[in-house]
Formats: sequence, structure tokens, C-alpha cells
Amino acid sequence: MIELNHVSKSYNKGRIKAVDDLTLTVRPGEIFGFLGPNGAGKTTTIKLMVGLLRPDSGTIAVDGLDVQKDALKCKALTTYVPDYPAVYERLTGLEYLNFIGDVYGVPKAERLDRIGKWLDIFELSSAVTNPIQSYSHGMKQKIVLTAALLPAPRVMVLDEPLVGLDPRAAHSLKELMREHCDQGKTLFFSTHIMEVAEKLCDRIGIINKGRLVACGSMEELKALDRSERSLEAIFLELTEK
Amino acid sequence: MSRLPTLIRAGLRSNFGLSVLRHRIFKEKKDRWLVPIFGFAALAVLPSIYGLILLIQNIYLALKPLGQERALLTLGIMAGQLFILLFGLYYVISAFYFSRDLEFLIPLPLKPFEVMASKFAVIMINEYLTVMVIVLPVLIGYGVLARGGLSYWTNGLLVYLFLPVIPLAVVSILVVALMRVVNISRKKDALILAGSVLLISVGIGFQFLLGRSSRDGLSGQAMTSFFTSPDSLLNRVGSRFPPSIWATKAIAGGFSASGLLNLALFIGTSLLLFAAILIISEKLFYRGLVGLGEVSGRRRTLSRAQMAQRVSSGLHPVRAIFAREWRIMNRTPIFLLNGTLTVVIVPLVFILMATTGGGRGDAGSILKVMTSAQPLFVILASAGFMVVCGSLNGTSSSAFSREGAQFWISRVIPVAPRDQVAAKFLHSYLVSILGTVAASVVAVAMLHINAAHLAAAAGLSLVAGVLLTALGMIIDLARPLLDWTNPQKAIKQNLNVLFAMCADIGILTALFFAIRFMIRAGLSNGAILAALYVVLVALSGLSYAALVKFAGKRYREIEV
Repeated sequence: MIELNHVSKSYNKGRIKAVDDLTLTVRPGEIFGFLGPNGAGKTTTIKLMVGLLRPDSGTIAVDGLDVQKDALKCKALTTYVPDYPAVYERLTGLEYLNFIGDVYGVPKAERLDRIGKWLDIFELSSAVTNPIQSYSHGMKQKIVLTAALLPAPRVMVLDEPLVGLDPRAAHSLKELMREHCDQGKTLFFSTHIMEVAEKLCDRIGIINKGRLVACGSMEELKALDRSERSLEAIFLELTEK
Repeated sequence: MSRLPTLIRAGLRSNFGLSVLRHRIFKEKKDRWLVPIFGFAALAVLPSIYGLILLIQNIYLALKPLGQERALLTLGIMAGQLFILLFGLYYVISAFYFSRDLEFLIPLPLKPFEVMASKFAVIMINEYLTVMVIVLPVLIGYGVLARGGLSYWTNGLLVYLFLPVIPLAVVSILVVALMRVVNISRKKDALILAGSVLLISVGIGFQFLLGRSSRDGLSGQAMTSFFTSPDSLLNRVGSRFPPSIWATKAIAGGFSASGLLNLALFIGTSLLLFAAILIISEKLFYRGLVGLGEVSGRRRTLSRAQMAQRVSSGLHPVRAIFAREWRIMNRTPIFLLNGTLTVVIVPLVFILMATTGGGRGDAGSILKVMTSAQPLFVILASAGFMVVCGSLNGTSSSAFSREGAQFWISRVIPVAPRDQVAAKFLHSYLVSILGTVAASVVAVAMLHINAAHLAAAAGLSLVAGVLLTALGMIIDLARPLLDWTNPQKAIKQNLNVLFAMCADIGILTALFFAIRFMIRAGLSNGAILAALYVVLVALSGLSYAALVKFAGKRYREIEV
């Protein structure tokens, strides 16, 4: 579970409000999709959740633990995939996965099973002994996703995880996301792809200029708009200038 | 050609980070403290420049009665050009081949020579700033002393403007050719490293040749005739690098026929070489470049058994982070050159310096004389040498900066900052130990110091290593440079490395004065050594504790 309580974050000494008094709860077993135009505050919110940024005010909790005060415990429960796959280019894929397994304390047997499974799914098996430097953008994205799945975390936070993935990998990822949440775990991700959000998410939040302008299931969002239009139409209306 | 100025302007902005710096200082108001620091640093350089001018005056007054004063100009110009020849290599390789802006420039409708010319211009401006400290005092000092007129200053300015062209063009041609070869191979990193080490060795060898030629073979009669013919020293000094002779004659000759002829020769050669690099770049630059950032890997699927063998059974996080640091440092050529390899190269250079000139080089014999008198000096000099070899490199002071855009990983993994810095510390300290060991070998070979003295010296160096490593890491952690796109910026152009070296030198100087004070106070050798050990152990413990505490704070604060 992720709980954001009146969270605000600004840049340039308060002149730019990236996130403005955001309150949001993502329940266990739920895939939560986070939508918003460019610069609306999606990445800032995500970075606040995983402790990369500190909120100016408000609190964020993961499974009841405060992200700032119980940082290490929260980190052990959460994995994160950034919007750009910046990983150690000079390590091989397998060295990187081993590193993640070591720091999250994943036992060898589980490590072996999970690595084998996801490398197969993402079709990375033949490249895993090569340096990450030799990977394409999509392959880097896949190795970061594999690393994020390796500790079998309670909570996953993904920033535009589908960017750069080929259709087969994107399909596999969506299945993995569902599987993850069917085990009672939590998944929060941002996206620009309305169709994915519409079909995959249990609930959707729309952020504009740092403020949450809508939040709920697809049905609830449609109910906001009496004409029952598509998510795209609702998004465009809510995020109008 | 009208696109060129735009390209150069963009290149300069990105090279010096002007736009980012302006944004940070004036908009975000973050790095304002840098302004007084730079001002202070500029002021701090003034006394050294004054000292250099005094030195120049003395050399000038000594050479003048012999009619050899113009050799001073040759020396200054040659020193500047040699400096560019040696250090330009790093700039050229990284600017031509490893800067990320190439990814944006290549698809633009620009010709290779335009891209090359703009890069060349940016390096030129970098070099004006670098050699300013070496060449300008000589040019100005000589001009004032010799009462140079308008012709002196005009030609001097022209020579200064063209000064970096010849050495940079030579280096560029070598590098472009090297890269064309390197890029056809799969082992690019290894070749780049080998090429760099080779070019550095050639550079060092060249210096020895110069050093040797100025020492040997002048005696009696030869000396007399040497000094009675004017400019013989100039010709001798410059014989290995003729452009410096042309430049000297151009400046000193003014608007006379000889002056103008030599000026034409100097500028003409510069332009010719510049044209050559443009022509070569049109043919070779992009071919050496395209695909350089890409590394091919053999595709191989591991069997379940092979996978089981290679999947780690669980390292302690400190060991896992240590392994990551070690691998990344040693697999990134520019990090390896400036870290691990430096600690081996510096003692090696020392051996070379001390052994050339008939086995009794200046540095070696000075040390020998100095240390033969007193066992305490043997220990202290050896320890000082070991510390310099082991700790005066960029490993610890770039420990956090080297992570760059990947620092987010360190921020999200469930490993306490205490453990993360412990792993980083162990890695930097291992490099420092490597330097101490290499220096110990030199100390035994050159100074023939006995086992007890060696142990005492190595002990001091190892304890001091903890202090300097922790200090370097604290400095880097205070303001890590994480937004680089070119690894060179993380270690070679990282101000933290410079700040840490200044701090290290400051500490060593303070220790030097403390030792001098104790000697003057009449303390016994044993007491002095014991006091040093106690102070260093205490400072090391304190600095490590401070590092751990600081890391706890900074790992929360640094936003990525």
C-alpha cells in the first residue's frame, strides 16, 4: 500500500510547484495508473515515493512505514524503474542482476528461478553475459525491469515502463503487472498511453500542474463526465490549459 | 562557413557548462558560493605568477651578458607547446569521440570538417586558458625586460594565438588515425587504453630525450664556442621542436625581414597543419566515429548449469558494492588511467627520472643525500613519497561523482549509507595501498632502505591513506558531480579532485611544519615518529567517522 498525505514539492525556492498538496492512496492488490501532461508532476511524485526527492511538506508511507523516517525498510519493500534506463553500462547484464540480488538479499535458488524466468520472457537470455553498454534502449529497459522484479517486492513503482519496449515485451510486461497485483501486491505506474491505462488499471489518477484533478476507477471517471466518453476525452478535458 | 560560429558557441557553452552554471547561480541561486571560491583561487595564483616573473627576470639577466636571452622565449613557448602535446591527447580523444553532443551533431546537415573545426576551436580556447600560466609570464616578462616595442607585442600576440595549433593538429591527426584503426576492432576500450599509455610513454620519452640532450656532451672548448655564438642555446633547446625557434625569432625579430619571415613560417605551418586535419577529418573522422559508442557482444545463451554457476549465492552488500566499484573503475579507460594506473605510473616515472642521466638523476641523488644523514629522514621521505603515490589521485575524490546518472540506484537500494561508503572507502583505500606498495618497491630499489625503516614508512603512509581517502570522499560527497555525459568530466575535469588535492597538500604541509617544530624542540626520532602515528591514527579515525556521519546526511539530501 502507498499513502501520500498532503504532499507538496517545489523547485527554485518555491517558485515552481511541481506537486501541490497531493493526497492519494494506492491499495494492496491494485494497479494504479498515473496520467498527466508533460511537466504535470508525474515523475516528481514517483521520485518522492521512492525517496529520491524529499517533500517540502506532507508524508508518504509504504505499507504503513514512513518513506523518510523508515527509509531502509521502505526501500527493502519497494523497487523502482526510472523513465530512462540509466544503468551501469560497464557491467554485464548478469553482473547487474547479481548486484541487485545481493543488495536485496535474494536467496540463490529464488534468484536463479526468477532470473531464468524473466530473461526468457524478455528474450534477454542470449545477451545477459554481454556488457550493458552493448544493449539497445529497449534491452536496457528490460534489464532494469528484470532487476526490479528480482526481489519480488511488495510495491513496484514504474515511471513510463512501456517506453522503448517492443510489442511482445510490452504485452509480457502488462501480464507481469497483473500477476504481481493478483498476489496482493501494489503497483504504481505512470504512462501516456491511454489505452493501456484504460484496460490495465484498477484505478487511475490524473495530475495537472501538480494537483490531482481526478482519481478513481474507469467507471468512476466516466461518471464524472456524463457523456461517458473515452479516457482520452476525459483526460483532454481535465488537463485543458 | 556561417554555421561554424554557431557551432563553436554551442560547443563552448556545453564545454564550460556556461548555460547550466548561469541557471544554477542566477536562477536557482544554488552555486553562489562558487563565485568567491573562484575569485579566491584566482587571487591565490597571483603570488605564484609573481614568483614566476621574478624567476624569468633572473634567467633573463643571467643569459643577457652571454647573448643567449632569446632562449628564454624558446623555452617558454616550447614548454607551452609540449604541455599541449602531452595533455591535449585527453581533450582531443574525449572531445572528438566521446562527447555526447556528437549524437546530435552527426544527423545535422553539417560536414565532418565543420564539426571537427568547431571541436578544434573549443579545445584551442581550453588550451589558451591552460598554457596562459606558462607562456604569458614569459612573453610579458621578456617584453618588459627587453623593452619590446609595438612589433614585439604584435608578433607576440599573433604567436600566442597560433601557439596551440601545431601541437594540437599533430595530436589530432594521430588520434583520428588511431580511432580509425580502433573502431574496426571489437576491443575498443583496450585499444584506447593501450593507445593512451603508448602516447603518454612517447611523451615522457621525448622529455627525457630533451633532458638528456641539454645535459650531455658540452665541455671545455665546445662550451666556450657554444656561448660565444649568439642564439646557440636557443637553437640547441629548440632543435627538437623547430616551431619554437620560428616563434622566438618572429617575436624577437619584430617587423624586421627575419622576424616577418619566421612569423610567416610559424603561422603558415600552423595553417597548413590545420588544413591537413580538416582534409583528413573529411575522410576519416566520421568513419572512426560512427558506432564508437556501441559495443558488440557475442550472443550466447547460458545453460541452467552455467547460469547456476554464475549467479551469485549472495554477497554481503558491502562486498557487492565494492565489486561494482572495482569493475566500473577498471573497465572505464579514463577512470583506470586517472586512478588505478596513476598509482603505478607515478613511481615508474620516478624510477625513469632517477635512472636516466647515467643512473644518478637529480631527484634520486637529492633524495639520497638528504636521507643518508638521518634515519628519521629516510622514513619520513619514503612515507611522503608513498603518500604522494598512493593518495594524490582522483579515486577517492570522485568516488560519488563517478556514479553519475546511475546514482539513483545507490539511493533506492536498501543498503545503509554507512555500508555504501564503507565499500567505496575500501575500494579507494585499496588503490591507495597499491600506490604505497609500488612506492615501497621504488624506495627499496632506489634508496636501499632497510626492512625496519620500510615498515615504519609504509605504516605511516597506510595510516595517512585513511585520512586522505576519507577526506577526498567527504569533499566529493559535499557536491558530487552527477550530471556528466562524458566520464572524463567525472574525474579529470572534476573540481572536487582539485579541491581534494589542495586539501591533501595542505595537510602534508601542516605535518611538515609540525615535524620541523618537533625536531627543533629537540624531540628524539622515536618520539617524533610516535607522535606522528598518534596524530595520524586519531585524525584517520575522526575523518572516517565524519565521513560516515556526513554520508547519512547527504544520502538523504542529494536529490536525483
